[in-house]
Amino acid sequence: MKRALGLMVTVASLVAVASVVGAATAAPAKKQDTSLSGAGSSFVFPLISKWIPALGSAYGYNVSYSPIGSGGGIAAITAKTVDFGATDAPLTKDQFAACKGCVEVPWALSATAMMYNLPGVNCVLRLNGKQLADIYLGNLTKWNDPRIADNNGKCNLPDTKITAVYRSDNSGTTYNFTEYLAAVSPTWKSKLGVGVNAQWPAGLGARGSSGVAGVITKTPGAIGYADVAYALKNKIRFASVLNASGRYATPGLRGINAAAATLPARITSEDGALSIVNPPKGNPLAYPISTFTYVVVSSGSSKAAELRKMVYWAVTQGQKFGPALLFQPLPKQVQAFAYKQIKRI
Amino acid sequence: MSTVTPDPLAPAPIDRQGIRLGDVLFKGIAFVAAVGVAAVLGLLTYEVFSLAWPAIQEFGLSFIWTQGWNPNSNVYGALVFIYGTIVTSFIALLLATPLSIAIALFLTEIAPGRVAAPIATMVELLAAIPSVVLGLWGILVFGPWVANHLEPWLQSWFGFLPIFSGDPSQAGILPAALVLTIMIIPITSAICRELFSRVPRDLSDGSLALGSTRWEAIRRVAIPYAAPGISAAVLLGLGRAFGEAIAVTQVIGSGNTINESLFPPGDTLGSRIASSYIGASTAIEAQSLLYLAAILLVISLITNVSAQAIVNRFQKARRMSTG
Repeated sequence: MKRALGLMVTVASLVAVASVVGAATAAPAKKQDTSLSGAGSSFVFPLISKWIPALGSAYGYNVSYSPIGSGGGIAAITAKTVDFGATDAPLTKDQFAACKGCVEVPWALSATAMMYNLPGVNCVLRLNGKQLADIYLGNLTKWNDPRIADNNGKCNLPDTKITAVYRSDNSGTTYNFTEYLAAVSPTWKSKLGVGVNAQWPAGLGARGSSGVAGVITKTPGAIGYADVAYALKNKIRFASVLNASGRYATPGLRGINAAAATLPARITSEDGALSIVNPPKGNPLAYPISTFTYVVVSSGSSKAAELRKMVYWAVTQGQKFGPALLFQPLPKQVQAFAYKQIKRI
Repeated sequence: MSTVTPDPLAPAPIDRQGIRLGDVLFKGIAFVAAVGVAAVLGLLTYEVFSLAWPAIQEFGLSFIWTQGWNPNSNVYGALVFIYGTIVTSFIALLLATPLSIAIALFLTEIAPGRVAAPIATMVELLAAIPSVVLGLWGILVFGPWVANHLEPWLQSWFGFLPIFSGDPSQAGILPAALVLTIMIIPITSAICRELFSRVPRDLSDGSLALGSTRWEAIRRVAIPYAAPGISAAVLLGLGRAFGEAIAVTQVIGSGNTINESLFPPGDTLGSRIASSYIGASTAIEAQSLLYLAAILLVISLITNVSAQAIVNRFQKARRMSTG
């Protein structure tokens, strides 16, 4: 199975890499003797595209990256067809077992936006966790239901059917969203759980963020999720979400930063995974559906030294490229944690 | 061969050595090609089953009639997907078969040549549209049209039927079946056209000479003559419909329930494998997806074998009736 997966991923990567390599070689580079290939998350791709030329001029690394999705990235690093994989969902136990000697390092921080299409509604929709869970459980089906209308007093929500849209393919964004739903809804936690996909009881599935966005823009009354950079770039409106402090927060840089600030000063995590969904009280700005995204590197790689350097650069200097793309630079304690993980590579 | 004596009147001598070598080479290549393809089929089936084996052992045959697919609590069952595969494919077939026969008859019997040729090309070009492009069109144009126009219309006329009940949806079993219809029409209509163009002229001329109308000639002569081929064409289309994954994934909405209505989202075997295999979070999920692949493989093999059986039976019947 691994071999078949590897082959599939290689073919997919070859196609995508061709274009990225083309762009990368155009960058001014001193000596391009080390080439590092990566694949995975499309969420983090805009940031990596900025890193590629910068890494080229800093170290002379020729980095290529194919945004084939988090799942594909995990499969590729497991099969060792790439030097690093990128994923928004932390590796599961089974995936760690299959991916021999893999180390997971958080290297970017952003959020998942709840996009919606409500023509004629001009105020920003406000939603809380219970409402989101009920919508995706199929218990809330009309926008003018008093259970939603109550906290959207001025909005005058229409009598439209709610169409909940989810990702049909395995996705790190789905992981972030279900992790949040499980944190705010015991029903969700016990019936559907947390994962890169779920047994969605209501709504309809679409492939990729672009598929979700496609359905939302074509369907009045639709709601769905994607990374906030995607929602902004495609000019799709998104909701503010109630946090534990009782405030409605937006997935802007401040909201993401406030969510990450709730992490303890000394971070311990055995596998490298960190969770900041639904952060506790005390951070009124915190956006509750924020997430880290990870790079997965094999410690047995022959390019371990270069990879260590690359990831270190990414979690330090690389972070300054983030804000323009709605990636909040990593907080100090996460950086410190990342160094510890990097040492294991 | 070796006993042939050279004939002075024969044309220039032929290099028999070369011919023999060519013969041997040709035989060898043909043999390897034929056996190779058969071996690939065998190996592939073996591999799929052996990779799915842990899931087959874990869930047994009850996997087939279990409803539910929750990778987060390791509940796996194929029923929703088997249902979706069979329903979408049969609706597609139900719509595509009469349409394909009509297109083929129009092109061979009714339309004048200069109209028929461009239309035939257009229909065949439909087969050249990559399924992923068709799927995109399904998401952006066709799905919304189905939800806003076709499904409300069906509901207003046939709403008393449970299959047309409930809220219209732009992704679901019905749009998927319609996209499949579009995908199999070029295949079945091209084969049907070929079949109708091979109906011996004297048979239909004879029928017309005996006083039958055009329609009677078609119904009594052309269709029975082409029937075995048509049924094979239909089953080929069915095979295509069963296996199509990408276009279906884009329009079926990846639902997890079986509904009596055709409007809500569902899922097919191929579509679920395509959307969930990459990035499966546990080993048992990947194995269960391969179990789905094994089921799809078996369904497809059964369809193709029965296609051949039907063609054989028809041919035997025809041989007996013609003498």
